[in-house]
Amino acid sequence: MNGLIGNLSLAVAVLTAAGALFTAVAAAKFQDDRMLRWSRRLLYLMGLAITVGSAALMSAMVNSDFHNAYVASYTERALPMGYKIAAFWAGQEGSLMLWTLLLVGMTAIAAHGFRNRERIEQSAMLGVLALVCGFFSALMLFAANPFVQLPAQAVDGHGLNPLLQDPYMIAHPPLLFVGYAGYTIPWAMLLAALIAGRKDNQWIGATRKWLMVSWLFLTVGIILGAKWAYIELGWGGYWAWDPVENASLLPWLTGTALLHSVMVQQHRGMFKIWNASLIAVTFLLCIFGTYLTRSGVVQSVHSFGESVIGTFFLVFLAVCVLLSIVVVVIRRQLLKSEDTVQGMMTREGAFMVLNVLLVLMTLATLVGTIFPLISGAVMPQPVTVGAAFYNKVVIPLSLVLLAVMSVGPLLSYGKGAGQQLIKSLIVPGIAAAISVVVALALGMTDLWALACTVITVVAVCSVGVGLTRSVRQRRKIEDEGPLTATLRVIDANHRRYGGQFVHMGVVMLMVGVAGSSLFGVKQTFQLAPGESAGFNDEYTITFGGLNQTRQSNYTSVEAHVTLTTLGETGDTGGTGGAGQTLHPEMRFYDKSEQPSAQVALNSSLSRDAYVTLAGWEDDGQLVALQVIVNPLIAWIWIGGIVMTLGAIFSLLPRLVKATARAGCPATAAKDQPHAHAPATVSLGLAGEGRCESQIQTTTTTQYAEAPK
Amino acid sequence: MTHVRIKMLIAGLVLIASVSYLAVAGVKSGWVYYLHVDDFVQDSTYQDRRVRLFGLVDTENVEVAPAMLTAKFDLQGESNSIPIHYQGVVPDTFKPGGEVMVEGKLDDAGIFQADTLMTKCASKYQSEEHAKRLEEAQ
Repeated sequence: MNGLIGNLSLAVAVLTAAGALFTAVAAAKFQDDRMLRWSRRLLYLMGLAITVGSAALMSAMVNSDFHNAYVASYTERALPMGYKIAAFWAGQEGSLMLWTLLLVGMTAIAAHGFRNRERIEQSAMLGVLALVCGFFSALMLFAANPFVQLPAQAVDGHGLNPLLQDPYMIAHPPLLFVGYAGYTIPWAMLLAALIAGRKDNQWIGATRKWLMVSWLFLTVGIILGAKWAYIELGWGGYWAWDPVENASLLPWLTGTALLHSVMVQQHRGMFKIWNASLIAVTFLLCIFGTYLTRSGVVQSVHSFGESVIGTFFLVFLAVCVLLSIVVVVIRRQLLKSEDTVQGMMTREGAFMVLNVLLVLMTLATLVGTIFPLISGAVMPQPVTVGAAFYNKVVIPLSLVLLAVMSVGPLLSYGKGAGQQLIKSLIVPGIAAAISVVVALALGMTDLWALACTVITVVAVCSVGVGLTRSVRQRRKIEDEGPLTATLRVIDANHRRYGGQFVHMGVVMLMVGVAGSSLFGVKQTFQLAPGESAGFNDEYTITFGGLNQTRQSNYTSVEAHVTLTTLGETGDTGGTGGAGQTLHPEMRFYDKSEQPSAQVALNSSLSRDAYVTLAGWEDDGQLVALQVIVNPLIAWIWIGGIVMTLGAIFSLLPRLVKATARAGCPATAAKDQPHAHAPATVSLGLAGEGRCESQIQTTTTTQYAEAPK
Repeated sequence: MTHVRIKMLIAGLVLIASVSYLAVAGVKSGWVYYLHVDDFVQDSTYQDRRVRLFGLVDTENVEVAPAMLTAKFDLQGESNSIPIHYQGVVPDTFKPGGEVMVEGKLDDAGIFQADTLMTKCASKYQSEEHAKRLEEAQ
């Protein structure tokens, strides 16, 4: 029954998508608004069909309907309910179903939001969305069908891969897919705006929300994935530059560039062709990354084009690339810049630099990922470039990027920004110099670590200096206490301060990455029960013994390991101190041939102790333990949370309504010394959005966030 | 304006030069040949450098000592095989008959000393089990 409903709904989805595409084109050709309405209705219907199909698959998963081949392959009766649900996206077919479900949901929202646009723009948008949704539905119907029925019902399922039986499995894939699916909408909006011949910059403001939301979900997805890899895979790291990981990083890098460069187009009418290309590239990278990781081209170099789904993706990718290029080239007149960059030390200059850096990082990551393919084509044997390549290329680029980011809050648009910057850098510069001296005095001589220290100090101080300046300006005209004024200033410009919050998160992430990769230590121990060993002059490790427990679908062998910090107990060897007991496990799942190791962690803000049970002999008379100490690694996760909160904050509407125009700090800016240079819009004083429009000198610029 | 242009041009050139330098250095340090075990045995040009090999774990003569953190096995191709001594944490998914990838160098005794051992699966998203079931359903 589920199979029938599922297949039927996929067929309906393909037909309605084709119908929506057809009516959208017809609406444009015959200038018929009825066709337009039909196109939209068909898209809604397609959304409904995919929802019904997903519900059918979910019902089969939850009710262990082993007639369904997908359910039989990825679940089992004894699987806890949460994982039965998560198994929906454990395999190829189901994960495509989830992606499609999210895509049709966003398509419906976008189509609804576009219902009052001009006919031609609307029809182009609906057509593009119908094309993408139709592709995914057809892909499932013909090449990766989650509703294939077995000739006879299986007695029990094969079970979920032990690596995937983790709470992160529930959240990580859907979050990533929201990001991937989300980048489709800006692409459709771009093509629609260009096809409709829109000359204004308002449409780019409308894409920003989608770009921001997609970026937010992609960020959370990637960081959760890193955390998952950290606690699950047992090698003590969180990022391996694996092709699957790179596939998610590529659109994230271009998406990050977009969030910045889109603002410049909104405010100054610049970077238009760049933004258009970047929106297209970000979407295409989502598809390309999926193609890379799903077709098996990268992992096994010899099976190029072997998988059917790979061919589907490749053809679709080619169509999308062609469509993007044709539209952008034909409409290149619309993408001419209205202004020029006034210098490197301006806001637009910094945005340009950071865009170039991010694109270079994207290129490096892309080249590294497909290096086996490139080298295999020109040499007798393919060559891979490992983590060393990425670390040599991407890491230095990202440090330069972070340095630019750290002075970001002090930069303003247009002429005169350079002198402003130098003046504002006095405090952060002095603080950075002091921190370097202190770091050197404490014996930190690693150049990378010193660079990270300087970036951290400058970034934090710059935010402080920028905010203080705005608050001081506000208090000159408003009778408010320092705290109220600060909160009001922040509330008046969510986008700006949300962005700075995100930047603080990025700095924390950098600290975590630098700390763990520069100062992490790893050692393996072979211990008998009761035996102790010292580690890195900081810890004593004592092995207490093994014991076995039985859980619902696996048997666990657990080691008792006590970890004592030497500092806590004096230097006597740490026998008397209250140590932390850790229980690294080895799990034997009933439905899996291989055991699965579970890491035990002792985490604090300053360092993580990470213990894995690598194996044992003679019933536990000798065990092998791998112990890793990762300094500062917790800051990666904290940074991730801060980035998330910052992004959410920037999307929230203003909490307290502005009471009067006089309260707007930008108005005050007119009376300030900067007023004599009208081209300068000091962002320390004026926010973006409604206030700034009063002193904006570029007449052609239009605002997406217009005053109500 | 031209002044700014020139400055930007110089900055761009410096950036391109430094990135190219980084890329070349990165490729050099990360450069590892990726070979099938048959190609490695037949072609001696790769035998004196660090390579990444893939093949199947021979079902016989597999000695895994997880507590000693070692695994000894023969990596099998279609026509050749080579003895591997691996030192490190043995992955959970390692099994005789499975497809693996090792990274290391051949020593004088003709034994491949590996420090990286990865089990390979054709695709993260497609379990073998499911492929079998799909065939069955056809």
